[in-house]
Amino acid sequence: MSMAINGDLAVKKSPMQRILRAFIDIRELTLLFMIAIIIIVMANLNPYFLSFSNFRALSVGMAPTAIIVIGMAILLASGGFDLSVGSVMALSSTVVAMLMLAGYSIPVAVACSLVLGAVVGFSNGLLVTGLGINPLIATLGTMSIARGIALVLTEGFSLSSLPKEFGWIGKATMGGLPVLVLLTMVLILIFDLAVRHTRFFRQVYFIGANEKAAMLSGIHVGRVRVIAYMLTGILAALAGVLLASRLMSGTPTAGNGIELQVLAAAVIGGASLRGGEGTILGAFLGVVFVALINNSMTMLAVSIYWQMIVIGAVLVSAVALDMLIRGRRN
Amino acid sequence: MRHESVSVTGVTTGQSPLFTLSGVKKSFGSNLVLDGIDFELLPGEIHALVGENGAGKSTCLGLLYGLHQPTDGEVQRNGQQVRIESPSHAQALGIGCVFQELSLAGGLSVAENIFAGRAPSRFGVVDWPELRRRAEALLAEFDLSINVSQPVDSLPISTRQIVEIVKAISMDSQILLLDEPTSALTPDEVDALFKVLRKLTAKGIGIVYVSHHMTEIFAIADRISVLRDGKKISTTPTGGTSQGKVVAEMIGGAHPGEVERSDDQLGDVVIEVEGLTSPDHFMDVSFGVRSGEILGVAGLLGSKRSEIMRSLVGLMHGHSGNIKLRGKSANFHSLRDAMRAGIGYVPEERKTEGLFLEETLYNNLAAASLDKHTRFGLIRRRSVMEASERAIKAFGVKTRGPEEIIGSLSGGNQQKIMLAKWLERAPDLLIIEEPTKGVDVGAKFQIHTELQRRAAEGMAIIVVSSDFPELVSLSSHILVVHEGRVMGDVAAHDATEDSLLQMAAGLSANGGRPSAPLQKGMNP
Repeated sequence: MSMAINGDLAVKKSPMQRILRAFIDIRELTLLFMIAIIIIVMANLNPYFLSFSNFRALSVGMAPTAIIVIGMAILLASGGFDLSVGSVMALSSTVVAMLMLAGYSIPVAVACSLVLGAVVGFSNGLLVTGLGINPLIATLGTMSIARGIALVLTEGFSLSSLPKEFGWIGKATMGGLPVLVLLTMVLILIFDLAVRHTRFFRQVYFIGANEKAAMLSGIHVGRVRVIAYMLTGILAALAGVLLASRLMSGTPTAGNGIELQVLAAAVIGGASLRGGEGTILGAFLGVVFVALINNSMTMLAVSIYWQMIVIGAVLVSAVALDMLIRGRRN
Repeated sequence: MRHESVSVTGVTTGQSPLFTLSGVKKSFGSNLVLDGIDFELLPGEIHALVGENGAGKSTCLGLLYGLHQPTDGEVQRNGQQVRIESPSHAQALGIGCVFQELSLAGGLSVAENIFAGRAPSRFGVVDWPELRRRAEALLAEFDLSINVSQPVDSLPISTRQIVEIVKAISMDSQILLLDEPTSALTPDEVDALFKVLRKLTAKGIGIVYVSHHMTEIFAIADRISVLRDGKKISTTPTGGTSQGKVVAEMIGGAHPGEVERSDDQLGDVVIEVEGLTSPDHFMDVSFGVRSGEILGVAGLLGSKRSEIMRSLVGLMHGHSGNIKLRGKSANFHSLRDAMRAGIGYVPEERKTEGLFLEETLYNNLAAASLDKHTRFGLIRRRSVMEASERAIKAFGVKTRGPEEIIGSLSGGNQQKIMLAKWLERAPDLLIIEEPTKGVDVGAKFQIHTELQRRAAEGMAIIVVSSDFPELVSLSSHILVVHEGRVMGDVAAHDATEDSLLQMAAGLSANGGRPSAPLQKGMNP
């Protein structure tokens, strides 16, 4: 006897309905659709919008955010998050500059600042898993500490006159495309696939969905969490190094407030503070979407203050829409 | 007691046990939870572990699954002493566990959940086709047809429970620990689960089965071990004991008998409902309850029994018909109105509707009767504390005291406080839904006794339940509803579980075919 237990109660739907469903269900598709609309509308409103130089500026500008959102999306999926990313970015941009100015070679300086990012991430992870401090409080603390260290080290000044070769990553192009942007795309692609398909990163979703259940399933919850925080720290540090390379200076005030932009973009991209949800591609498209809206408003000469209001409204609407759709489905 | 030669159905005697606990003690702080437990599991055996909440069953399972380590005593796996450090260690030792609370990740697919954290992979990359194939193979082994690619949260709860069990089996466990595996299942699904369990035991897998459902235990278990207050009271082959005996051992005394009821003690009509109709929910519902009477309302899921009750207490509106409370028309706009008129309403879901889980016991108890404990706008702590102590005593609540956070009490004790909270108001009419859902026999007995005592003192009580034996033993009259219609109003002493089920399923009206009356007072 076969048991008649099948949750597949859905009534058969027409292909059109199913495509529509997929558009609403799969956040990446919804966002791609919205991005396409913005591009089409803007192309008609301002011919300069579609120009290569605008797109290059746009993509170079959002590269650090896009790199940081990778870590944030993974953390959000695991049920955590990290406010210290902006400070880590600033710290690593100053440390890499200081080390080079002190005469260390570029690879050594870069490696050291990435390790520093890992250390901050490791501390975040320990505070959250070992001591059980709420991630909001723990990373709020490290956010302040890391920024403070960057300011103490530089006494608040930016560090310039960095070795010329260091500017290569930030400024060089390959086949007409900035290396910075290519590197970001490669990272997004690698991490999106990794999070979708590797055993290690799949564990993150179990932890985010139900931490206790993950533990009872034999998953090493603490270890996975700490690694996720370390990864986020390393990526934030990498973003700092790339920023320093592009600006040819170490800036202790860099990335101020970027943590909230990154969080907002990840949530627009389908992540949830409850954990267990979201993809890297979705979070990346969230970054693209927000950057495009900002860019469009700048082109339309909307004041920067109004831009903040619009971005806030977009964030809240995206989440509200999501809740409505879910509510209806349940 | 250990290694005694028992004749166990389907098990050859003299086999060496899969695991043995000998003299195991476990204390948390100064609190001794297990006090020298001896327990063993043979290959191919289903060994039921029963006891009231707090008797130590969960701790026993926790010890075997590496959540706790014993303070004293020995755990042996296949004759070798082991110390099980963590769930992953337990899994490596071939021990799988299904906990009462579902432990699946809702957004992920069935297949991925079954192999949580252990998905087949090459160089760390998950092999999705292989994962699906293995999940399907496992499910097919038990004649289950579930689409393994769909997300778990699109499945009904009962199916999730099955997925949970398959997940535990997928670890190639030789030992399976099941904690209340049937709590979310319908009778058909329970049968299906039992088939799965028998297939497992036929392969030599041993199962520890923790449950409150005596009928199920007697249907499936080979042996039964009773725990009480951290001690093992007995281990007997199922054939050598009876439900009454097991219950008596669990609660440590004579087993609950029937409380005498007689109709001549009944007083005036407290509530009278006539032709109550709510277009989307129910039609022409009529009944009456007298002072001192317990009316049972029997209905399955979708019977709209809750909607009827919610209409009586002002939580649902838009109905027509007459509701009379002590002869006066009573259409309440809100629950507050109904409460003022002397009605108490204990909802079904204690965790979400009935209690403030993170609050103390005394705050929960006082929540519905703050007026009573208030003088000049200030809450009198002493009065609340005294009320709490009274409730703790009356119900035999197992707690460290009124200051304890209610969420840390066992389900049965939470249920008692939820009921006590409404009894505090001393309502004329108490409406209570599923009074003993998910509580153990001891708590059930105490709740029943208290309800009967209050009725004897003159309270009118409506008990809504899908536990039909409970209704038969508790109430004097039973109203059976099916899809919003009254199928019958029968005297409890004429009712049988079977006849009630027939009516509740809409198969017959008022009576059904007669069969032997249900044995009262014996239904845990």
